[in-house]
Amino acid sequence: MSGSTFKSQAPRRTGPAAAWVSGLLENKYLGWIALAAALLAPLLTASPYSLNVMTTAAIFVMLAAGLNIVVGYCGLLDLGYIAFMAVGAYTAGIVSKAFELPLLFTIPAVLVMTILAGLIIGAPTLRLRSDYLAIVTLGFGEITRITANNLSVTGGPSGIYGIPKLLTFGDFSVHSPAVFYYVTILIVAFFVLASARLGKSRLGRAWRFVREDEDAAEAMGIHTYKVKLMAYIFGAVWGGFAGVLFASHLTAISPKSFIFLQSALVLMAVVLGGMGNMRGVVVGALVISLLPELLRDLSEYRYLAFGLLLVVAMVFRPKGLWPAHGHEEERKKKEPEQTAVDAAVSRGESR
Amino acid sequence: MRISKRSTMLLGVATAMLLATSGCSNGLLAGDSSGSADTGTVKLAMVVPISGPSAPTGEYMQNAAQLAVDEINKAGGVLDGRQLELLVEDEACDAQQGVASANKAVSAGAVVSVGGYCSGATLPQLPIFAEANVPMIIPAANSQDLVKQGLKNVFLVNGTGNQQSTAALKYMLKSGVTSVALVDDNDSYAVDITAETKRLIEDDGAVTVALSTSVTPGESDYSAAVRDIMSANPELVYWTGYYQEGGLIINQLRNAGFEGKIMVADGSVDASISTIAGANAEGVLATMTQTPDTLEGGGDWIASYEDAFGSAPGPFSLQSYDAVRLAAHAIDEAGSTDGDAIIAALEAVDGFKMFSGPLTFTAEHTLSSGGFVILSVQDGAFALEDALS
Repeated sequence: MSGSTFKSQAPRRTGPAAAWVSGLLENKYLGWIALAAALLAPLLTASPYSLNVMTTAAIFVMLAAGLNIVVGYCGLLDLGYIAFMAVGAYTAGIVSKAFELPLLFTIPAVLVMTILAGLIIGAPTLRLRSDYLAIVTLGFGEITRITANNLSVTGGPSGIYGIPKLLTFGDFSVHSPAVFYYVTILIVAFFVLASARLGKSRLGRAWRFVREDEDAAEAMGIHTYKVKLMAYIFGAVWGGFAGVLFASHLTAISPKSFIFLQSALVLMAVVLGGMGNMRGVVVGALVISLLPELLRDLSEYRYLAFGLLLVVAMVFRPKGLWPAHGHEEERKKKEPEQTAVDAAVSRGESR
Repeated sequence: MRISKRSTMLLGVATAMLLATSGCSNGLLAGDSSGSADTGTVKLAMVVPISGPSAPTGEYMQNAAQLAVDEINKAGGVLDGRQLELLVEDEACDAQQGVASANKAVSAGAVVSVGGYCSGATLPQLPIFAEANVPMIIPAANSQDLVKQGLKNVFLVNGTGNQQSTAALKYMLKSGVTSVALVDDNDSYAVDITAETKRLIEDDGAVTVALSTSVTPGESDYSAAVRDIMSANPELVYWTGYYQEGGLIINQLRNAGFEGKIMVADGSVDASISTIAGANAEGVLATMTQTPDTLEGGGDWIASYEDAFGSAPGPFSLQSYDAVRLAAHAIDEAGSTDGDAIIAALEAVDGFKMFSGPLTFTAEHTLSSGGFVILSVQDGAFALEDALS
């Protein structure tokens, strides 16, 4: 759903069909087309079941978009990402139940708590690299879940239930499945767009530099620790807001919703889609969240088929279904008649 | 981003496959409106675990419910000849899956829900069924949290944690035990029973709680918990979690030389506990509602179950079977498939004959008597030890 403007790097297509496909895939309006499709989908099928599945998928897309910032852009392997969703969901649930507020008004508290969580988890762990970071994030993910399981304020193992609605205006409440679906889609679209834009910002470039070579980035004057912490905090905020939507969608949260498997599934979505490419990640998230539902007819063989399809996908597309470009496109002047000398002048190389 | 022709083709095939699967699911969705509320089959939703670690129990429940549906259909169905249809959906003991399945069942036009095993996955389903005004007869899940919200469509046909704890205390007093250790697995269901038992014991005052501890489910070694229990030296250990961990703990306790009594709650009542703990499981007590094995006249029922499915019934088979019968009874009494009418009929049920005894609901929509008895393992199988009457 990004309005991204990637252009083809190696447009040596063999046939017009392939060229057409690649043109379509890199169309800058593709994000808007996807958004329109998401908005029109309920017109085709609006049973509570399909709305529920689509809403869950949209929330999952948001999670994947958040993790893509951490793993895809910045290259920090995070195996406990679901902890941020837990922080967001629990904060929203506890605050809204304690003060009897609609969930929307808990957003400032969620923002503060997720940033804090990002800092608390990120500050000590980001001094580590690669495998060590992965193991420590795995640990933090489990710590968050077990803490929630043992505190009384989080409702212990039964969690929190009867969570209020997202928003209530007198008689009108954002809880009919269709309305909630549209609200979710708009929020998720905003965050996906923001995430794609972030990837192309100055900070996004710094993240990718850190991902490619941390020492070189440091040498070039990037404060790598600060930049990595920023990636963590952005990821945490995305996860936290997904948690608010999750709490509102399910109306009940319990520690069992935030097990390691969930972290692994979100990571799977990012890897399957194509690390660092926002469009690919959206596709990956949709596949991961919708495939088990589409395979429901296989009942007990459902996860076997799901696993097999994932393995097949990774064998044939090891870099993901839709991988990111390896390098940033060079910025060129629009005028085609620009000569090498002009280019040199414009780069300030004239004597 | 260079895509070779071959991989483009593969991608195309994959997309086509995806589209094919989604097409078939659309077919299902398109079929939602079929079978209007007044004619056609009467649909019962059953959301139970079909995948995941609790899948075996889900199968026991699904089979028993199907047995009841078949019997009722053979006897002429409900509402003057309409057939019952059981819609089974997977919850996988997961809140998200539970919600998706409940929504799917509601979309498909279910009029009564007869599922619910994991409390954690059942809780978030309550508002969905409540909104659709579908009465829920929950056969297995029995957390107090389910009825605490006071939803009028929720009925529990399994005894509650409170009733189970009362039975546990009754037995402790009866057998003259003076100190107990309570061990749970930190799951909402187990903690519910432990907390309730502890409260009842402390209110009563005759028994002391020597130790109250939790273990992490899914481990293969519980020697730390066993050491704690040994040093607290209670006369009875009450394990409230599931049988996988229960079997290991019993085994390790006996091997460590523990000679007191061991009692387990209904989540551990499964033949596998003897497979895991072997001879050490002999004499282990359990708080449980009647199972077909322990029930007089249960033999015929077991035979017809084995006839139909080629395997023996298991935990919560009886409750699921009864839940379907109760649903059919309430629909007949109500004379329609309207949610409010069925709820009123369920509230009015008085002495409906079930395996666990005559059924009447309390104002809270739980059983007026839990029907908990004490079982014990004899020759590798659970048998009635004390009816607590």
